[in-house]
Amino acid sequence: MLALALVLTLTPGAGSSPGWRPGLVVLRTALLTAAPFWVFLLVLHDVTTTVAIGLRITTMVASFVWLVAALEPARLVEAMVAAGWSASLAYLFGATLSAVPVLKARAQRIVEAQRARGLSARGGIAARLRALRALALPLVLSALHEVDERALALETRGLVPGIRRTPLAPPPDTPVERAARWALLLACLFALFRRVM
Amino acid sequence: MSIRLLALIPVAAAISLALSAAVDAVALPLFLDTTGTILATALAGPGVGIATGVVTSAVNTLRNPTFWPFVVVQIIVALYAWVAARAGLFRSFRTAVPAGLGLGVIASLTSTPISYFVFGCTTTGGIALTTALGRALGLPPVGACFFGSFVSDFGDKAVTFALVTSVLRALPRRTAARFPWALRAIGAA
Repeated sequence: MLALALVLTLTPGAGSSPGWRPGLVVLRTALLTAAPFWVFLLVLHDVTTTVAIGLRITTMVASFVWLVAALEPARLVEAMVAAGWSASLAYLFGATLSAVPVLKARAQRIVEAQRARGLSARGGIAARLRALRALALPLVLSALHEVDERALALETRGLVPGIRRTPLAPPPDTPVERAARWALLLACLFALFRRVM
Repeated sequence: MSIRLLALIPVAAAISLALSAAVDAVALPLFLDTTGTILATALAGPGVGIATGVVTSAVNTLRNPTFWPFVVVQIIVALYAWVAARAGLFRSFRTAVPAGLGLGVIASLTSTPISYFVFGCTTTGGIALTTALGRALGLPPVGACFFGSFVSDFGDKAVTFALVTSVLRALPRRTAARFPWALRAIGAA
């Protein structure tokens, strides 16, 4: 399974440039993400346990790193809607993915603004907690004030819960891909069954 | 679910994930990654809170795949926050901080089996190091794993509860009134 996951990282998907280079970057990301786990496992366990858990974690990390490299969130949302999933569910996932970088950038601006006003993040724990409050409160309150604007925008675009939408450009889904998905699901259930029994 | 509550979920989930920038700025060993879940529960009830927790875990998983099994912790946090909100524990810091400490114990009890059996207690660098400290203190493997989770969760959840209380107190009444449970959580209804 690990070998399969690592080979998959070499094929980051149709959206990236051709050749081996993007795949090698994804493989390197997977290995660098998994490396600290091996170090901590070695600190906490013997070699046999380290190898057993380390291989499992590396497989998990490599699979997800490949997934992130191969999958565009916007395409995922389109595919979910095309497959009959609720548009609201697709929105939850897509909107969070796009909101995180926006709020992180705002948090950074708040940090700089508060520093310019003389906020110091040094000193004891109480002083740091007060500084954290001064940074976190404006971020959370400004984000909550946005909820109404977002709700209005969703209503204007007809994203009312319970209404089925038609995707503009659904990703192609061939019978072979559908069969492969079912086969993978069955393989997972079989592996789980063998593990439990 | 109303459209306003649907819009609240991604905002609350993004709050949980974006607060790391504020935490980095003050260099405190905190995660605050359940802030959005607790806030959404206090504002809009357990359904919205659980949805926020699941979305937070799903999006966090894309950054670090080891987060997904801990989605159970987010769900338990939402349920606990719901009980705390109904009991009026967000109305003052004197009740919110002990409630957060209680959640810290419950969250570490929930995350310990996942961390131990799936990851061998190596989920994040900080927890792995405190687990190693627990081993050095002579604790058994599962005990050291709980020690690691407890040290990181105990203070984190207390600060998170205090932060949510601050937000609820600072929220203008007009804004709070737009969420079904907010006024009750702050004791204004």
